[in-house]
Amino acid sequence: MGRRLSITGVLVAVAATASAEVPATHVRLVLPWRHQAQFAGYYAALKHGLYAQDGLDVTIVGGGPGRDAVELVRGGQADVAVLPLSAALLAREHGGPVVNVAQVVNRSNLMLVAWRNRGIRRLKDLEGRRVSMWQEELSAPFLDFFGEEGIKPIFVPQYFSVELFLRRGVDACAAMEYNEYHGILQAGVDPSQLTVARLRDAGFGIPEDGLYCLESVARGNPYVVARFAAASLAGWRWVADHQDEALDLTMEYLRHDHVPGNRSHMRWMLTTLLPSIFPSAGDQWTFGRLRHEDYDRTLARLTDHGVVHLNLPFEVFCWSTETHAP
Amino acid sequence: MLRRLGIAGRMSLLVLVGGAVILGVVVGVSAHVSRGMLERELEAKATALATSVANRLDAVERSITRSAVGIAHAVENLPVSREQVVTLLQAVVRDNPDVYGAAAAFQGGVPGTSRATCPYVYRHEGSLAVKDLAEGGYRFQIRDWYTLPMELGQPVWTEPYYDEGGGGIVMATYSVPLSTGTGETRFRGVVTCDVSLAGISGLIASLPLGEAGYGFVLSADGTVVSHRVKQYIMNETIFSLAEARGDPTLHALGLRMVHGESGFVPFTTFTTKTPSFLAFAPVGAEGWSLGLVFPKEAVTSRVRALGQTQILFGIAGFAGLLVVVLAISRSITRPLRHLDAATRALAGGNLDAPVPEPGGNDEVAHLAASFAQMQRDLRIHIDQLQATTAAKERIERELQIARAIQLALLPKTFPPFPERNDLEIYAVLEPAREVGGDFYDFFLLGEDRLVLVIGDVAGKGVPAAIYMAVTRTMIRALFREDSEPAEVLNRLNQELAEDNDSGMFVTVFCAVVDLRGGECRYANGGHNPPLVIRASGELEPVPSVSGYVVGAIEGPPFASGALILAPGDTLFLYTDGVVECMDRAGGLYGDARTRERLMDLRQTSCNDLIKGVREGLRRHADGAEQSDDITMLAFRLARGA
Repeated sequence: MGRRLSITGVLVAVAATASAEVPATHVRLVLPWRHQAQFAGYYAALKHGLYAQDGLDVTIVGGGPGRDAVELVRGGQADVAVLPLSAALLAREHGGPVVNVAQVVNRSNLMLVAWRNRGIRRLKDLEGRRVSMWQEELSAPFLDFFGEEGIKPIFVPQYFSVELFLRRGVDACAAMEYNEYHGILQAGVDPSQLTVARLRDAGFGIPEDGLYCLESVARGNPYVVARFAAASLAGWRWVADHQDEALDLTMEYLRHDHVPGNRSHMRWMLTTLLPSIFPSAGDQWTFGRLRHEDYDRTLARLTDHGVVHLNLPFEVFCWSTETHAP
Repeated sequence: MLRRLGIAGRMSLLVLVGGAVILGVVVGVSAHVSRGMLERELEAKATALATSVANRLDAVERSITRSAVGIAHAVENLPVSREQVVTLLQAVVRDNPDVYGAAAAFQGGVPGTSRATCPYVYRHEGSLAVKDLAEGGYRFQIRDWYTLPMELGQPVWTEPYYDEGGGGIVMATYSVPLSTGTGETRFRGVVTCDVSLAGISGLIASLPLGEAGYGFVLSADGTVVSHRVKQYIMNETIFSLAEARGDPTLHALGLRMVHGESGFVPFTTFTTKTPSFLAFAPVGAEGWSLGLVFPKEAVTSRVRALGQTQILFGIAGFAGLLVVVLAISRSITRPLRHLDAATRALAGGNLDAPVPEPGGNDEVAHLAASFAQMQRDLRIHIDQLQATTAAKERIERELQIARAIQLALLPKTFPPFPERNDLEIYAVLEPAREVGGDFYDFFLLGEDRLVLVIGDVAGKGVPAAIYMAVTRTMIRALFREDSEPAEVLNRLNQELAEDNDSGMFVTVFCAVVDLRGGECRYANGGHNPPLVIRASGELEPVPSVSGYVVGAIEGPPFASGALILAPGDTLFLYTDGVVECMDRAGGLYGDARTRERLMDLRQTSCNDLIKGVREGLRRHADGAEQSDDITMLAFRLARGA
């Protein structure tokens, strides 16, 4: 708690100085969740001076329950946030003028995990069954999926843990393949006990983590934002080449912030996530960039399910120095 | 190496090796047995301890669940205000040392307020603090301790968590759902009581688990809740540790633990990989589990200490045994060494060397007695040998005398009548080692007659030699009186047979040759008939005449024979030593070979003839010792005489 306070203190101090002047070299990056290997690229870019060599003095702020990254960016307490695409669109819906400056995770990692011995052999079996589900932006692809498949489960709110699922309080739960799914396995559950389905395999995957800042920030400091995005992506490239060191670095963040987690879970996370960041031969998307088609499809889905009501052209949402250069 | 040692050394070494083997087996077996015993003892102790600790933790759990249920009961059934709730929470936390904090969360507020509220009372720096978790952005509604009882409709223990709300510590929360008391069960909120895991860790740390032993606690998900490695707490599950180590056994063990089993199993510690034992037992009803780790070293060190003591005593016993063995074997070998010295002295010729006489009735005493007996026997034997040798030497001397007598009486000068050229004569007598009693003789009767004699006394040695001397002398004397050979033999037989107590006798052939006319008259007393080698080349024995051996009995008279020797004819006289000359295999020279040899040599002088036959015999004998004398005499009338 003490450390957390001190970081918040620093954050507030930085925010105070930054609000006086337009941020030039100080960049505060806020994460959507607690420290974990999901953010290893940013740790690496900071640790190995990729930000510094671009003249950036970066502070990384972990997220978690009680800390809303969108709010921090909107309120000016952070400059850049890592957000899932759906969260960024929802921020837009709620009047937060964020723009995408880089798309890190282009491939979806969402999945449904169900108890096999509860009679769930395939997803159709979830009809009328209790399924714990994240709220708002993260639930959109699932709702989309269930809607398309014509399955009507009973949804139970799911927040930061899958304890309800582990205690058989629900028959299925939403999960990130790189996080909750492996957490379930690390609670002693054998994969053979589970029925799992990846949304992307069913065609309902949408891009996840991207880098976002306020449109005004991007417009005011286009080169800082561009340099930050490029250095962040370079950080991810470094991670791909130095996975063990990246894990060491991740574990340092975890330990520093008392975030529960272990190295084997972080390893799983990293190895599962990297193929969603760096495209393979068959993938349509490019490393670091949001694909126009994926954006349109995501927006359409969210609009269809009433999550957002936006008429937001790709070119406005997706910032680049080429198109938006002053 | 063993062979080079003495008996004492060898015995000591063998006893030492045998003892070491026995000691090794004893130590090994006792180590095995005592290890098993100690392990069973440890198992009993560890299992009992694990159960007792689990019971203590159960008691903590029960006290917390009771507190939470109690508050819930009060809040559910009484129209309490928020302030009253806080007072109740304070009382519970204050009175129950196991409760770290207590909260009552209402989603729809309490009487008097409609907002969500969550008063929380917790220990802080020695006193109780109060705060409202509904304020300050904590969002209690998304926490497991709130959602789980709500969704499950029953009280739950949460997984341990690092509390950010009030305590800022690792805790677990027992949470009881509240429903409206109106019969219709509608969720109103929860009442919670927290337990600090630091307290549990303190309890575990205080256990008497020995220097290297430790305990750990797992939650229902296998999360490490208490462990001496602080890093593991809340971060690792037993399954993540199994995953990191690629250890399926650990994974299986984790499942047994979280499934509420208890047991005692071999175990390798997570960090130091120390071989250990793990006693585990379930804690409470929520699937938590307690593990107590006892390094095997605790058992093995005791076994080792026991083994060391045994080895120490064994070595001490050895040393004593060695001294005893050396003493015994030395006492055995001391008389042996003395016997050895006595044997050397004996071998050096000292038959009077003292032989030790060890007391007792053992093998060594028997050996010494046998040795003494042997020494006495040897002495007697050597005395006898000396006597025998003396006797033999005397006999040998006698033989020499006999041989001297024999040879002294024979005419040995050839040619014997150098002034005469009408005859040729040559003879040889080769005595056997034991004189055989052969003899030959020749002498002239007047100018024209030559007497030839050859004989063989039956018997050997001095008596034979003397008998031969007597015979020869008498023959000479008798021929002076009568020149008829048959008559001479008659007279000789009479003389010798008379008073012949010794039973000796002689074979004799004698002939008188008229050197002018060549007439040869002869008589034969049982001797090998001589051979006549005619100048013309024929070979024939002299015609046989009746006559028995001489000197045995006074018997029938000897007959006379006669033949004519032409000039160049050779008369060959010999004893049976010639035809019975033996080779190494005992084969006889024989008549045929003798005759053949004579035929080969007939053209040579008498001298060369005899020497030639002799050479033939020597080749035949090839060094074999002859038992009889070899005697030959050759006479020839000169041609043109």
